[in-house]
Amino acid sequence: MPIGKMLLRRVALVVPLLFVILLFTFLLVRISGQDPVGLLAGPTATDAEIALVRASLALDQPLWVQFGVYFGRVLQGDLGASWLSNRPVLGEIVERAPATIELMGWGVLIGAGLGIPIGLRAASRPDRSFDQVSRFLSLLGFSVPTYWLGLIMLFVFFYLLDWAPPGMGRLNLMLDPPPFFTGSYLIDGLIAADWEVANSAFRQLVLPVICVAIIAAAPIIKQTRAIALEVLGSDYIRYARAQGLPPREIRAMALRNSRTPVVTFIGTEITGLVGTTSLIEYVFAWGGLGQYGLSAIISGDFAAVQGYVLALALFSVIVFLAVDLFVMLTEPRAGIAA
Amino acid sequence: MSLLAVEDLHTHFISRDLDNRLRVARALNGVSFTLEAGRVLGLVGETGAGKSLTATSIMGLLRPPAVLIGGRALFEGRDLLAMEEGALNALRGRDISLVVQSPKSSLDPLSRIGDQLIRIHRAHRPASEATARTRAMEMLGALGIPDPPRRMRAWPHELSGGMAQRVLIALALMNDPRLLIADEPTTGLDVTVQAQILDLLRDRVRNTGIGAMIITHDLGVVAHYCDEMAVMYAGAIVESGPVRAVFARPAHPYTQNLIGATPERLKIGAARTVGGTPPNLYELPAGCAYSDRCPLRGADCAIPPRDVALGAGHVARCHRLVAAA
Amino acid sequence: MSEAMVTAERGRLRWLRRLSGITRRSPTMAAGAAILLVFALMAVFAPWITPFDPEAANARNVLAAPGGAHVFGTDGNGMDVLSRVIAGAGWAFGIAIPAVIVGVLAGVPLGLYTGYRGGWFDEITMRFFDALRVFPSIILALAVVAAAGPSLFNVVLVIGFLDSPVFARVVRAEVLALRHSTFVEAARAAGNPTWRILFVHILPNAIQGAMAQTAVRAAWAVRISATLAFLGVGIQPPTPEWGAMIRQGAEYLVTGQWWVGVFPGIALILMVLGLNMLGDGLQDLLDPRRKAATR
Repeated sequence: MPIGKMLLRRVALVVPLLFVILLFTFLLVRISGQDPVGLLAGPTATDAEIALVRASLALDQPLWVQFGVYFGRVLQGDLGASWLSNRPVLGEIVERAPATIELMGWGVLIGAGLGIPIGLRAASRPDRSFDQVSRFLSLLGFSVPTYWLGLIMLFVFFYLLDWAPPGMGRLNLMLDPPPFFTGSYLIDGLIAADWEVANSAFRQLVLPVICVAIIAAAPIIKQTRAIALEVLGSDYIRYARAQGLPPREIRAMALRNSRTPVVTFIGTEITGLVGTTSLIEYVFAWGGLGQYGLSAIISGDFAAVQGYVLALALFSVIVFLAVDLFVMLTEPRAGIAA
Repeated sequence: MSLLAVEDLHTHFISRDLDNRLRVARALNGVSFTLEAGRVLGLVGETGAGKSLTATSIMGLLRPPAVLIGGRALFEGRDLLAMEEGALNALRGRDISLVVQSPKSSLDPLSRIGDQLIRIHRAHRPASEATARTRAMEMLGALGIPDPPRRMRAWPHELSGGMAQRVLIALALMNDPRLLIADEPTTGLDVTVQAQILDLLRDRVRNTGIGAMIITHDLGVVAHYCDEMAVMYAGAIVESGPVRAVFARPAHPYTQNLIGATPERLKIGAARTVGGTPPNLYELPAGCAYSDRCPLRGADCAIPPRDVALGAGHVARCHRLVAAA
Repeated sequence: MSEAMVTAERGRLRWLRRLSGITRRSPTMAAGAAILLVFALMAVFAPWITPFDPEAANARNVLAAPGGAHVFGTDGNGMDVLSRVIAGAGWAFGIAIPAVIVGVLAGVPLGLYTGYRGGWFDEITMRFFDALRVFPSIILALAVVAAAGPSLFNVVLVIGFLDSPVFARVVRAEVLALRHSTFVEAARAAGNPTWRILFVHILPNAIQGAMAQTAVRAAWAVRISATLAFLGVGIQPPTPEWGAMIRQGAEYLVTGQWWVGVFPGIALILMVLGLNMLGDGLQDLLDPRRKAATR
């Protein structure tokens, strides 16, 4: 089957999921027993604002009409306005998403770059000292509170050693962001050949990225080890040994067969890392989507929460699609590998 | 000099239980047999008798908790068990080849059939890619696989069980081994395919003069395809000899039980039932391991029985037997 | 020596042997259990071993550095950090244990029923669990607790319910494997009602996998409750809860009074680590699938 058609089918499966999530967040506001107008307009709203919200939500109509109105507005890209900032939610999400993606992207990249080789090495000689140490480190990574790690990093590298800048966003406050190209200040700064911006972006990135990478690496180590052990114990590796294939070729075979499950795992792990990244953003005042979502939830900014939840769902869906695509391209059993 | 002479092979499973007590399962207790070039030996016995373990021990493929305790396995006079891992690895797949019982899961799922055949050939012989490819296609053709060029491009998951087993045999034969060990090569295949695969294996042995060892629990396979047979029970060979002799006059009570009286048992794939439970390898009796299931048990069975020669290479290990003059 | 004494002696030896056997097979698990034992003792004996009242403020002695009477120093209210760290163990257990019990009580019957019944109910439950997985658990917990109000009761309930899919999935998988086994068929043929088959015949065989998860889920419960408190939506100061203490300590870290936030963080790590180590060993020991994969 051509790859485009296959992807289309996956996307078609995703649409109902997004619809259900929309319905879910809609109902959550209506069923919570609280006044939806109050929730959406916020505690500081004036009478005029409340009347405006009431009219725009068609609150005098039956529930399904209300949902229809809401759904129609979401389709047009109108997610309502945040009462904290008094700005359209969609605009804020689009504006803040690159910050989160930059932090998470580098974090996952480095976490996987550390975790996969460690997990593979541990599996190649199970129960030896390297394996023991890496298993313990992985358990430690599972156990360290994300935000505490961030705080300690700031204490050590900013307060004590003064190697790192304070945890105050993505860029030195005196600098302007580079022209938008990829959304990553580091890469965009390099593209614009603005070394000062690139350098500042890099220095701001180091600590939070290390935190995300450490938290991301722990499950990757554990799972890569488990996957590699399973592959190494498989019939085909045992048979390859029985055929006297040189160890180098056996390693290559094990590596190739571990690739798809490891990537699939990392894909599912990224969704969970959104929570981790949010906490890191909170500690480092990163100003990304995660921090936005956390403060929206804590302060009960409901329009913002709805938008945030939708953005999260969309993000997960994109990640799952990317993983699917990878599997399709690398697995002969998926039917279209070259 | 025999092609393969196994002498007094001992392999144990050593582990510790939850109470931190050492537990030793004596899985192989002095296995000895010989195999000549051009002959097919059938190794029979029930599950857990140590048939496959004998093969893995010989090929140096034991993994913990299995531990080789002692013995020799002389392949053309060289002791495989005393060999360095590197030298043994060079032998595996080149001079000694293995065919296993789960062909589909034993093929690398991410390599095309042709690439796997070429890989095994070039791992052991200094051949060019093109030569190896030609040889691979010839081999597939020789094993009766239609349209070799197309099969070369196939992925393992696209093969049927029987086809996968042929490919596995092709892999095993790519380097002209002198000894072929087939561990339950037809388990799980349907009966007609079983016969085709076994015919193929036997013809190969006849035509090239290599030696083969077929591990099976199926007496029909032994009766139809083997020259010699060895019956294993509780990690030891209790009876061995030419297939005709053993089937004509099974001497050991276990063999008698196994072969029974009914001719249906000799059909390939027929169910085989033997009364009693398999022995507990953790607590083997000091004497004959079969004594607790044996209808002819006597007081002397507490002493380990010796091999009794019954003439024409037929040997059995039981107190009830009298050596042939 | 009487026979009874001999038997008792053997019983004790056997217990020791079992201990040494498990320690040998899984030193990680033994170490985890040891860490937890220390925390459990801390929690139980906190009223007697805390040098100060953990919630007694002292305006004249705020942010005292570690040393002297206050081994871990004092916090911004002049409360003794060591006493608060010790008292925090009780809060951690007090949340984790009931939360896991809620998770088991909600998840296990659900897993039993969905696995046994199958059909649309099973399908919808599983799809719902899948949809939940789109969101990070901390976001879900935060959203529900923020909406329901930050009481201890709510925190326990929310964590328990968010945990229940894990138990439901494990039990459901076991039930699917057991549903058509001979003994279940026999129980059904004998006319047992469904609930009896589920709880008397299937549950004892399916529960092991769920039990293997409890320690890891408890670790998660401790972590997430501390995170909620850190974000200011869980348990509120001056309750000596580690997450809330880290929140208090956060503002002092960048001004150099590290002890306020560091010590509760270390206690939190150690406890979660202990539970994770125990859980890792439990999974190896109790989960038949994992055992098969690692041996």
